[in-house]
Amino acid sequence: MTIAAINEQLLRAIGVGVALLDLQSLRLRFCNDTFRGWFGEIEVGSNLLEQFQDFDTEALRAALAGEGRYTTETTFRLRRRTMTVAMDFNRALDEDEPIAVLVCQNISRIKELESMIDSYSMMVERNTREIKREKEQVEKLLLNMMPRSVYEEYKTFGIVTPRLYDPVSVVCIDFIGFSEMVSTHEPAVIVSELNDIYTAFDRIGEQFGCARIRAVGDLYIGVAGLPDPTDDHAQAAANAAIRFMRYLNQRNGSHPIQWRCRVGIASGAVVGSVVGVQKYIYDVFGPAVIAASQLRYKAEPMTISGNRAVVERLGDEFTATEAGSITLSDGSEETVFRIAAEMRAQQER
Amino acid sequence: MEKSLFDKYGGFSVVSKIVLDLYDRLLDDDDVGPFFDEIDMARIVDHQTKFVSSLMGGPASYTDEQIRKMHAHLTIHQLHFDKLQGLLRATLADHGVVPEDQDAILAAFEARRTLVTE
Repeated sequence: MTIAAINEQLLRAIGVGVALLDLQSLRLRFCNDTFRGWFGEIEVGSNLLEQFQDFDTEALRAALAGEGRYTTETTFRLRRRTMTVAMDFNRALDEDEPIAVLVCQNISRIKELESMIDSYSMMVERNTREIKREKEQVEKLLLNMMPRSVYEEYKTFGIVTPRLYDPVSVVCIDFIGFSEMVSTHEPAVIVSELNDIYTAFDRIGEQFGCARIRAVGDLYIGVAGLPDPTDDHAQAAANAAIRFMRYLNQRNGSHPIQWRCRVGIASGAVVGSVVGVQKYIYDVFGPAVIAASQLRYKAEPMTISGNRAVVERLGDEFTATEAGSITLSDGSEETVFRIAAEMRAQQER
Repeated sequence: MEKSLFDKYGGFSVVSKIVLDLYDRLLDDDDVGPFFDEIDMARIVDHQTKFVSSLMGGPASYTDEQIRKMHAHLTIHQLHFDKLQGLLRATLADHGVVPEDQDAILAAFEARRTLVTE
């Protein structure tokens, strides 16, 4: 076998489609088996380019006349498979006759892979968006449970260092006759009412800087001066407490169920920390919480009881009158003060 | 959390090979192939990628209702479903998925039979 014969055999058998075209007429001179396998039996001498849809013959002629090279792609169906073939035309000479050599590479797999990557990246992007949305929801939930600075610490280090806050003011509220209310009304009604009231309390607390820490049944605890210390924590707590009662008074005027609360406010130290491992919760506990809780028992319906530490920090916006004493858990006696908004200040508002 | 089969078998880099292999086998099959006669290549590949990913616990999932709607316009007989099941098992086996995991994937596939067949 001659070298030329071997070359021709090779050319016929390789996986690349090869065709030779007359440069002037662009009619087929030769094509190999692979080419025929893709584009079917094309007679020598026929116009090859008519086979391809939307083929820009003018652009091909111009490119071959110019730099001598033209590249394009064609897509067609072979049985039910979508084939994409990259076509590379090069100007050449065949025994002094100008011809175009067309080399075709099957790039269907690349196109399929591109489609698959598109599909996969869209799935991943959608999942990423969902994860982001879920993360935001979790963050929102956690921010309802703890102050942002505590949340940031938890997010960064996975733990929260218990911290002593001293002094802060704690407001403890509960409702008179709550047990009876629960047994005489539909559970859904009580929950909906409490939801209303606590939402309003949260809003008032936010306005005055007295954030809710806990709400369990009818017990609502808010703290002013935490996590960032403030000088006016006592005023903040007293202002919030007075607004809580005003809100209830107004509400009672237009609602069938009457809510009457009692309030205890105490200034002092608390510890703030995330408690629990699996079911964790941000909690605040310590002397000021215990004192506020006890003081509320001493309060008449719709009044506020406070300890001396609160009263000493209140300005002239408030009046404080002695109202007996309580025995704290450590056995010491603590004077109780009834706190109210100063009438003049109230009228000015 | 237990690893999904998608992750166990190397994530997208391996699953992509399964998808393309399955794509070839589907188109070459004269029972299942005709369903894809008029369908654009990008859509078939997209469909297969999501199909295999969802069966293997990857980043795609479909509700029963979605699957039902997607196939509602097709006349899929038990034979077609069985054929695809066979192609899927053979493809998974050829890519090193162990029989136990093949069973799990095929069971997920079988669970959707009544959603798509007539």
